[in-house]
Amino acid sequence: MFRRNLTLTLIIIVGFLTICPVFMLLWGSFLKDLGTFSGFTFEKYILAYTDPEFLGIVKNTVLFVVGSAFFATVLAIFLSYMNTRTNIPFKFLFKVISIIPMMIPHILFAVSWVLLLNPSNGILNTLLMNMFNLSDTPINIYSLSGMIFVEGLLDLPIAYLIIAPAMSAFDISLEESSKVCGASDIKTFFRITLPVLRPAIMASFILVVVRSLASFAVPSVIGMPGRIYVLSTHIYRVIASGFSADYGMAAAIGMSALVASVILIYIYRYLTSETSRFVTISSRGFKPSVVNLKSSKYPLFFIVAFISFLLIIVPVIVLIYTSLTPYIMAPSMRAVPMMSLKNWIEVLKDPISLLSLKNSLFLGVFGATIGVILSVFVSYVIVKVKTKSAGLLESLSFLSFSFPGIVIGVGFMWFFVKTPLYGTIWALLIGYIATYLPYGIRPLSSAFIQIHDSLEESSKVCGASYFTTLKKIIIPLLIPGIVSSWILMSTMFFRELTLSVVLSRPGSEVLAVQILRFSEDGLWGRLSALGIIMIFCSSLIVVIVSLIGKKLSKAHV
Amino acid sequence: MKKLLLVMIFFLFSFAVYSFDADMAKKEGQVNLYANITAIEPLMEKFTADTGIKGIYTRISTSKYLATVLTEYSAGKLQADVVQGPMPILQILKDKGVLKKYDKSYLKDYPDWAKSDDYIAAFGIEYVAIIYNKELVKGDDIPKKYEDLTDPKWKNKIVMPDPASHATTISWLVGLKENNIFGSNEAWMDFLKKLAANKPMFVKSFSPTPAPIESGEKLLGISMPKYIITKAPAPLDWAKTDTLLGSPRGIALVEKSSRPNAAELFFKYWLSASNMQMLADKVGEYVLAKGVFPPINGIEKAKVLPIRELSDEEIKKWGAEFKKIFYN
Repeated sequence: MFRRNLTLTLIIIVGFLTICPVFMLLWGSFLKDLGTFSGFTFEKYILAYTDPEFLGIVKNTVLFVVGSAFFATVLAIFLSYMNTRTNIPFKFLFKVISIIPMMIPHILFAVSWVLLLNPSNGILNTLLMNMFNLSDTPINIYSLSGMIFVEGLLDLPIAYLIIAPAMSAFDISLEESSKVCGASDIKTFFRITLPVLRPAIMASFILVVVRSLASFAVPSVIGMPGRIYVLSTHIYRVIASGFSADYGMAAAIGMSALVASVILIYIYRYLTSETSRFVTISSRGFKPSVVNLKSSKYPLFFIVAFISFLLIIVPVIVLIYTSLTPYIMAPSMRAVPMMSLKNWIEVLKDPISLLSLKNSLFLGVFGATIGVILSVFVSYVIVKVKTKSAGLLESLSFLSFSFPGIVIGVGFMWFFVKTPLYGTIWALLIGYIATYLPYGIRPLSSAFIQIHDSLEESSKVCGASYFTTLKKIIIPLLIPGIVSSWILMSTMFFRELTLSVVLSRPGSEVLAVQILRFSEDGLWGRLSALGIIMIFCSSLIVVIVSLIGKKLSKAHV
Repeated sequence: MKKLLLVMIFFLFSFAVYSFDADMAKKEGQVNLYANITAIEPLMEKFTADTGIKGIYTRISTSKYLATVLTEYSAGKLQADVVQGPMPILQILKDKGVLKKYDKSYLKDYPDWAKSDDYIAAFGIEYVAIIYNKELVKGDDIPKKYEDLTDPKWKNKIVMPDPASHATTISWLVGLKENNIFGSNEAWMDFLKKLAANKPMFVKSFSPTPAPIESGEKLLGISMPKYIITKAPAPLDWAKTDTLLGSPRGIALVEKSSRPNAAELFFKYWLSASNMQMLADKVGEYVLAKGVFPPINGIEKAKVLPIRELSDEEIKKWGAEFKKIFYN
């Protein structure tokens, strides 16, 4: 009875949050004129899906999203394993590094890689040319592989924050049994560790697929100059061609992303339906084992350090450099005398930048907390209440998330304008939670899957209520998942752009909108300075929350 | 007598329509401008300092402009008192009844075409030119006419907004034809084909065009001279072609503004010579107030012409044509 009521209540809350904007878009996609809400037609769907270019765009999109998801997930498995299961040195540092891309505004990250790897004068390209005496630059970032590379890096934190908690909550007995039977560490990893982690790996893969489907920064900064169009840039072209932007047509195209996401979620549910196979924390007690890397400890450390340096630190250094120069210039001795703190002073004196920082901090901390509380309940129902309603709840949670960002914002605007919340920071807060709920749900679901029902049943037998069981048994075991969810949501809210650009108004400006303004004005120095402030604040929050999580985990073990 | 009475009524009526009360404007306290023009924060601050009325600048990109204004308007929640944007967008807002007539006396020193519409005042031209990196392109290499962009030496060295989707660029390319810049339609088509053969790099709009030029990734591009001011000290300069073209920039009052006096005061202030001078000096805009030019070397000698506003159907049609030429 309790479970049924909880499921129904959550379906109402999540449904209200996510269906409203998507319904407005669906409605708009069948209407002739923007704003008039009259004149039913299928014309937009016919035009959108009979476009001869559409097939090529679908092909590019599939390659882009699958490639990004594969790259991000493989890298995340490697880094998670190294950080959670081995005795590699400086673990904590690597953890922070692997989630740094989450905190960098995507547009800045993409621009940094363009500065490093553009085929004309990219810094790394020029370096490679000089080192190997090449006649031409060896790498072209303006390619599909360039897009996959940068998008994969940007989505690495999502994959890492889903896989790492599952990896850290691993039952030692499974691996020990394997080793007792004579398997090596590597064989145990491939035959035991990876299969048991299937729900987390699939959750990560699917979340990255869905996220890269909606991604716009990489396709526009790297794809468009390379003339490679994917679904989101195709939608942008539909909106930008003409002054009276056809959001109905854009929504009609966006529906294909929505359908693809819903199908993916059902496939995922089907493949992980036998959750008991993946349970690793049961009433028998658990303790993740640490693999001794022995002689390969330092070589592997240098490999991880090099990957982190190249993939994460170098773009951040580019940002710091750009924040000190008066305009975008290739690094040279000539740039040194021109460097100053002018951009930093301008940003710190700018009242709108400071207000944006304050608003983003509020949304990042308060919004994420509300989002995680909702996610705990939703994940519990999705994993532990195995009914059709639970499946419906999971699909609902993905609705607004699956829609390409440049369209869903308009859906929210059409919805919020009919409420008193329009133009306030609360509209942003609700919009963020509704759209990014999967960031909260996925790590928590992966964590819930690994907790055996017998723990709950024992609690019930001892006379505890559902809430007491949740508070005393489940939540303490969920702490790594809660921390991951909170970090994912908080960093996302802290740099959210697509909804904010439509919903924020004077007084409710947020950091990403201010960054977009600087980018539109071509003020890359100020943009980089504000971006670094953003990364610093996010990192600080992540470090504090991780430390709290670690302390709480220790207290309960 | 009857005639005199009619004249008096007309005069009184006009006064009632256009006049504003400065004290009431102050009481209204603030004015909200929806604009797609960038970097005007210093102008809003100056307005606030000069009048004591808070000038609020709500920036809305072109692609979201109509969706935002019409959604708010139909819900009775339009927060704008004054709207600034591309002429075709303002024209649609006028047709939907969002705009209000303005007092043309505010545009005394403007060309006649700028005040030909009763609802929308044109105050500037979003002028487009060949912009180059002056440290990397020097002497005889500096383009002197549009055709110079078609020289094969610029292959893979040009940046421009996507000619298949960016509305302002599509209108500009059509404007080159309609203003007979190349002497004939065949020569115009030849220009397009040769420019396409030089494989320009496409970006989504004008805003991302200066970055690759200033960093040296590309040497030149189809961009806006205003970036020479806003991106100073970046090594940017403009190719001194005789004629520059661009879309007119317009401004209009909102019919159902909740702060009509402050709106009118702002509108008048915006069109004043001193504000236009500031717009030219700080933002590099080409304005229509007589004798006011941005501080860009040689710009006062150029003939800057407004292009015809294309309808959405025309933009889509021409976008498809340019896609065939540039994406081959």
